[in-house]
Amino acid sequence: MSKITNIAIAGVGGQGIILASDIAAQAALRAGHDVKKNEVHGMAQRGGAVVSEIRYGKRIYSPLIPDGEVDVLMALEMLEGLRHAHRVRAGGLLIADDLRLPPAVRLPDAPGYPEDVGERLRSIAENVVVVPAAELARRAGNARAANTVLIGVLSRHVDLPVDAWRSALTTCLRPSLLEVNLRAFALGRRRRKSAAKR
Amino acid sequence: MSSADAPAGCALLSGDEAIARGAFEAGVLVATAYPGTPATEILEALAACPEVRAQWAPNEKVALEVALGASFAGARAMASMKHVGLNVASDPLVTASYTGVRGGLLVVSADDPGMHSSQNEQDNRHYAHLAKVPLLEPSDSQEAKHFAALAFELSERFDTPVLLRITTRIAHSKSVVGLAARTEHPAQGFARDPAKTVMVPGHARRRHELVEARMVALTEYAETCPLNRVDKGDARVGIIVSGVAYQYVKEVRPRASVLKLGLTHPLPKKLIRTFARSVQRLYVVEELDPFLEGQIRAMGVKLAHPPSGPRTGELSPAAVARLLGVRRRKLPAAVGGLPPRPPALCPGCGHRALLTVLKRFQVFVSGDIGCYTLGVQPPLQTMDTCVCMGASIGLAHGIEKATGRSDNMVAVIGDSTFVHSGITPLIDVIYNRGATTVIILDNETVAMTGHQDHPATGKTAAGEATHRLVLEDVCRAVGVEHVSVVDPYDVRATRDTVAAALERAEPSVIIARRRCVLLDRDRVRHPFSVEAERCIGCGKCLDHGCPAIADVTPEGKRRKQVAIVAELCAGCGVCAQICPSGAIVEDTPRE
Repeated sequence: MSKITNIAIAGVGGQGIILASDIAAQAALRAGHDVKKNEVHGMAQRGGAVVSEIRYGKRIYSPLIPDGEVDVLMALEMLEGLRHAHRVRAGGLLIADDLRLPPAVRLPDAPGYPEDVGERLRSIAENVVVVPAAELARRAGNARAANTVLIGVLSRHVDLPVDAWRSALTTCLRPSLLEVNLRAFALGRRRRKSAAKR
Repeated sequence: MSSADAPAGCALLSGDEAIARGAFEAGVLVATAYPGTPATEILEALAACPEVRAQWAPNEKVALEVALGASFAGARAMASMKHVGLNVASDPLVTASYTGVRGGLLVVSADDPGMHSSQNEQDNRHYAHLAKVPLLEPSDSQEAKHFAALAFELSERFDTPVLLRITTRIAHSKSVVGLAARTEHPAQGFARDPAKTVMVPGHARRRHELVEARMVALTEYAETCPLNRVDKGDARVGIIVSGVAYQYVKEVRPRASVLKLGLTHPLPKKLIRTFARSVQRLYVVEELDPFLEGQIRAMGVKLAHPPSGPRTGELSPAAVARLLGVRRRKLPAAVGGLPPRPPALCPGCGHRALLTVLKRFQVFVSGDIGCYTLGVQPPLQTMDTCVCMGASIGLAHGIEKATGRSDNMVAVIGDSTFVHSGITPLIDVIYNRGATTVIILDNETVAMTGHQDHPATGKTAAGEATHRLVLEDVCRAVGVEHVSVVDPYDVRATRDTVAAALERAEPSVIIARRRCVLLDRDRVRHPFSVEAERCIGCGKCLDHGCPAIADVTPEGKRRKQVAIVAELCAGCGVCAQICPSGAIVEDTPRE
């Protein structure tokens, strides 16, 4: 069977998860793959946990990634990374924004935000890249482009040509936001070497 | 981006967008809907097409009636809705089956197994049985487009509405779709034919016979319908499957023989028997109720698995593997002990402000369907009922009739929900001399489904200006004497208005009007902050659950310490009005 790539993107509603997954799906489509993407919206803007999945390859059936077959998990928030970390396959990669955002709703008896979230991420996933995405996004010109910084990091770890990514960004973003996001993407894409040295 | 009128070629479309595209290509002229997850985007995509008269209806019943009228006038027409919306539209659906159509009529039901955003997970395939109409179940976006377009042809050929049933995973998954050009189907106009369109008993009896004859013809058609096909594979295992479950079956059992049913009502019985004979072990895999399985067992076909009860929740590749007895390797478990992250009312939400006031009165709150239902969660916990669209007012009236009291209870309902089905129960309150207090939470949009317009916003689905329904005028017109409008950001005024209404032995309507904060992004906001010297540590500001107010109390301390996150604060000032010591102040005071 030919190789299928499975990417999961997790985070908090309002962070731009759906947009990030649209960009990744468009990049795969532009590279000539069959693509499926799933998400659940509705309450996505209300600060709840959100996850979206992209699968590409020669022929994709299930829009849901089968258990334990995530090649790359991209987390826009550390706790949401930990929530999905077990789904990463052996040898897979977890890219996480270093952001720590406590849940908006404090349910009684719910455990607190795990202080050791970073260590726990590293103890579960074999390969973890933590990215100061907000800082890089600010450097690109807009702190809200953290999702695109992570897309830049992701682009170095999956086999899609850079032109496909750029073309996807152009398709998915409003023209007024394109320039900032292309810069954010470039900063993320450059990130890999320093992360690998760590 | 990928809209329903994108140029010919290829696009990555959601199931919703693909249905819109299929209807567009088939020449749909009139499309109507009430917003509801996961069906909302179908009409939104069509509203971007100038060739289509795409419009929001006040509710699903009206939507289907408008679509049926357009069909009577010879236009291809459609109504789309979420699963529970079809309950509302079931009345016209069942009789539209008798009248049949003139222009093709497509009814889309988007079911929500797993209840990602719904109050139940009913399986709407049963409606096809009840209404005796053909049922189509696509398994990805390409099929969603194809089936939607084909539905119009089948509708005209067999003189019947066609039900297209999708689920959340079809509606909100994107996959590659080939696009084609639109073929126009102009409306021929309405022609009088009372025997077909006037359903008095004498006419309806004859039409019912035609419905039964149509079912026989459709059954015959189902045997050779290209939507029902066999993927020939290993003859040891055969699987009959429909909808998204097909994709899961192909994922976990790629070599099995599969009978994929796209037309699932009426069933192709000969095809099923032939397939059953061609395999050694036969399975039926479907989401939710054993809709296919029950009928197939009733045919006397032997299945390799014990009878399934109605299933709860959504299917997945893992769930299908379990059903088929496919062994999977052991996988690591999810990390335990993590705090959940449910959705919350936004900072600056007018609903929170209103519910905060209600919490002080300790009244029962008869709730409804909308963002405000999130008020059931801690710390607000101000929602005592939620059943279906518009139910808040009827339930409150029923509670009043049972207990003889109206001073300890209110009904809360959103603006769009009120227009959808809150007006008739309000008439009931007046007619039957109730004294219930009804609060309309007016945020001037259908917020929960992504900010659609409705009759009281004064804008159409295409964004054009239209007559604005004035809610206070509606309430007065049905006989409510005490109608007041308050800004829920004004805590004292809101509290006084609610207190007066509760004491009154007559019905009152309070319209708590505050535009959804997500629509008001351009509003100048001055964040608030906490002056530590004045804070007495009571924690009252935490009781209304604003995500912008952080509990930063050090471990082991009883006295609360709070901080307002400036980036999240919407500057509504409700917490400042709640604070008993005046410790919460605006950073840049208003001029």
